[in-house]
Amino acid sequence: MKVSRTWLQKHFKDELPKNAELAEALTFHAFEIESFNEDLLDVKVLPDRAGYALSHRGIAYELSAILGIPMSYDPLSAVMPIGGTTDEIALSIDTPKAFRHTGALVKGVKVGPSPEWLRQALESVGQRSINNIVDATNCVTLAMGQPLHAFDSEKIGRTDGKVAVGIREARAGESVVLLGGESVTLPEGALVLCKGQNGEALDVAGIKGGAASGVTESTTELFVSVANFDATAIRKTARALSLWTDASLRFQNRISPELVPYGMGHILALIQQVAGGEVVGVNEVVNGPESVALPSVSVSLSDINGHLGAAFTLDEVVNALTRLSLPYTLEGDTVTVTPPFWRRDIAIPEDITEEVGRIMGYDRVTPVLLPSSTSPVDQRSHHGVERLRDFLVERGFTEISTPSFAAEGEVLLANPLDVEKPYLRANLSGNMQDALMRAVHVAPRVLGPVKVVTVFEIGNVFAKDSERLSLALGMKVLEGKKHSVLEETVRELSDLCDMNLILDGDVFEMTLEGALLEKLGETYAPATYRLDAFRPFSAYPSAIRDIAVWSPEGTMESEVSNVILSQAGDLIARIDLFDRFEKEGRVSHAFRLVFESFEKTLSDADLNPVMEAVTTALNARDGWQVR
Amino acid sequence: MSAAIREIADIFSRMGFSIASGPELESEWYNFSALNVPADHPARDMQDTFWTTENPPRVPRTHTTSVSIRALEQLAKEGGDTLRIISPAKVFRNEATDATHEAQFYQLDGVAVGPVGSVTLAHLKGTFDQFYREYFGEGAQVRFRPSYFPFVEPGVEVDMWWEAPGKEGKWLEMAGAGMLHPTVIKNAGLDPAKVAGFAFGGGLERLIMVKHGVPDVRLFHNGDIRFVHGFTEVDH
Repeated sequence: MKVSRTWLQKHFKDELPKNAELAEALTFHAFEIESFNEDLLDVKVLPDRAGYALSHRGIAYELSAILGIPMSYDPLSAVMPIGGTTDEIALSIDTPKAFRHTGALVKGVKVGPSPEWLRQALESVGQRSINNIVDATNCVTLAMGQPLHAFDSEKIGRTDGKVAVGIREARAGESVVLLGGESVTLPEGALVLCKGQNGEALDVAGIKGGAASGVTESTTELFVSVANFDATAIRKTARALSLWTDASLRFQNRISPELVPYGMGHILALIQQVAGGEVVGVNEVVNGPESVALPSVSVSLSDINGHLGAAFTLDEVVNALTRLSLPYTLEGDTVTVTPPFWRRDIAIPEDITEEVGRIMGYDRVTPVLLPSSTSPVDQRSHHGVERLRDFLVERGFTEISTPSFAAEGEVLLANPLDVEKPYLRANLSGNMQDALMRAVHVAPRVLGPVKVVTVFEIGNVFAKDSERLSLALGMKVLEGKKHSVLEETVRELSDLCDMNLILDGDVFEMTLEGALLEKLGETYAPATYRLDAFRPFSAYPSAIRDIAVWSPEGTMESEVSNVILSQAGDLIARIDLFDRFEKEGRVSHAFRLVFESFEKTLSDADLNPVMEAVTTALNARDGWQVR
Repeated sequence: MSAAIREIADIFSRMGFSIASGPELESEWYNFSALNVPADHPARDMQDTFWTTENPPRVPRTHTTSVSIRALEQLAKEGGDTLRIISPAKVFRNEATDATHEAQFYQLDGVAVGPVGSVTLAHLKGTFDQFYREYFGEGAQVRFRPSYFPFVEPGVEVDMWWEAPGKEGKWLEMAGAGMLHPTVIKNAGLDPAKVAGFAFGGGLERLIMVKHGVPDVRLFHNGDIRFVHGFTEVDH
């Protein structure tokens, strides 16, 4: 939520500290700050506090508590007088999902551009100025967190001389043209304000107003509506329409219905200030209890400290509650808090513990290690899996991790990320083939001059009514027709697991049962690997060049490779010996060089000069000859 | 990933934590309702969660906190009051992918409970302090900021102070945590007047990306062997 410093300042007599300090205060005691500058703070208000803090008043209240500065102005300190009822209004509520509706009739308003201060106030939080009435309603919404709306009452019309407005649920297939011109079909469960008790819908209640009854430059009479609706209904409707507004955001977070009279008081005062007009009367219909005292919550000092692991004093607890304007009584070391109507988030003792902890600061919680555990730590299954991993890595396999979503399977997702892969995978073999194909291309760069690529994956696979842990091994031969590594590995795996495992083809898969893993892990301690920083690989394919050199008997491999490396330049990624033999007093070393660039695919033009330089340097050595 | 999990499991085992596991495809109860995420909570929106077409639908778990509550439930059945477990495993979020977001990734979740008063927020801080210093180095520090998750109260964000080699130090957001909400403890079948403790959860790839300088989370799970071999052993 965007918060203007100027608006916040209105709540305090003395100048507030700079925004950097406000941001820090909020960050360590209340909310994450997404960003801020000199005039604006973008505050991340989470669902738990959104019932009172999605407003400038709410943020000012928090700052007051955190910084210990009392508010000199609080729009919630008292309900502003709004005058009596009138028989020119008739209100009704025909659904249990609307809790309260207060409606005012205001005659003789002059709709026009807003005064400069109001325009600036809205623009400072990224809102557009429309006209003085609409701006006033947006202003009060953002200032106090109570959404409200003004209708052109003459466009609502009169029934028996009254402006009659009802609240009901939308009918099947009903549609409304919203402010802005968009026509929407109302989803099931949507609430609407309507003409009379049951007539034509005027808006999408709690979310957005209708075009037909909107306030324009020619409006002279207003019906001002301040209401409170069921949070779930509002959220469902907003989601179904993909229409999230300042109003829906607040209603979906369960603001208190007792906020309504405060909202009405402020909007009427502001309208008269910026647009003139005379309040004919204010009527109200309440669907349920008018005021519900929130239940008291008690917590003892030892409970607070026992939960936080801190050493706060009773004075500090009382101090935190006072700064938060939370009325309390004290008996021994137990506080009983009676939350004001707008702090519906305080419901259990732990909520008070959190208030104390956050206001005092979590830096007051000093780290303590858990006591040494007396019960044995059970990591057997984990060790069992790790044993299988080590077993395979020792045999030259590379572990891979592939996506759990697949093009086919037994469990279908209703909302897949990729419509081509809407199933949860039924096996690991599917992805393995693809991974092996790709591995073949990069093997020289990554593994050197190997004859075969072997990979494995351990992961969960899904059948209609079961989920199991699976192990898959795969092999792709690079040189020659066959390779025995997979067959041998499966045989050794059979021995290790004391099972009869059959290999069929180049990919093998088996289920890892819990019992098997526990048995394997019983006496196994996995080897630890200390890994270095990640070295990124190039997105471009690597290039291979082979070179073989005769040299006098006794020449070390490293001597030859060093000469090569001295001339190879920056592009060489690896060098591996792939052949060595001796003949007639000379030794031949054959190396495979892999070159890689992070900028492009390498061509002959790039590498020929390098190879020439290497060849020249090798031939320059006494008795050496490049083959 | 496996190497990191191994190291992390080792660090936590020395602090008395066992490893728990659970299904990746979860019921609504274990993934949400039991964890005090009510049916109308924004976290339930279709945008964040994958759902199956089954009736009732199941959910590829959005966090491994589902494993934690299963473990607490098991504890209740056994009549115990003390438990320490971690669960480093795969989770799923229906989010557009980019360098720091993946639809499938790993989380490290954990809980520690004991008789009321024996496991506190201070112990949570101490556990993270120990974990980060062992995994990242002695210079790592921990701090808490107030936050909110439905299954804890108080709720905090856990930041770590990290100085990458050759770079300026800064505070990084690493995990969410807090004291288990009494409703969650009750849902597991335990008595919150007798048992209390903490829970935490954070991205595992994130830990590795910070420690080893991996630039893009999407590298972890696309089956490319070049990623695995981008790490060399320092010593064995």
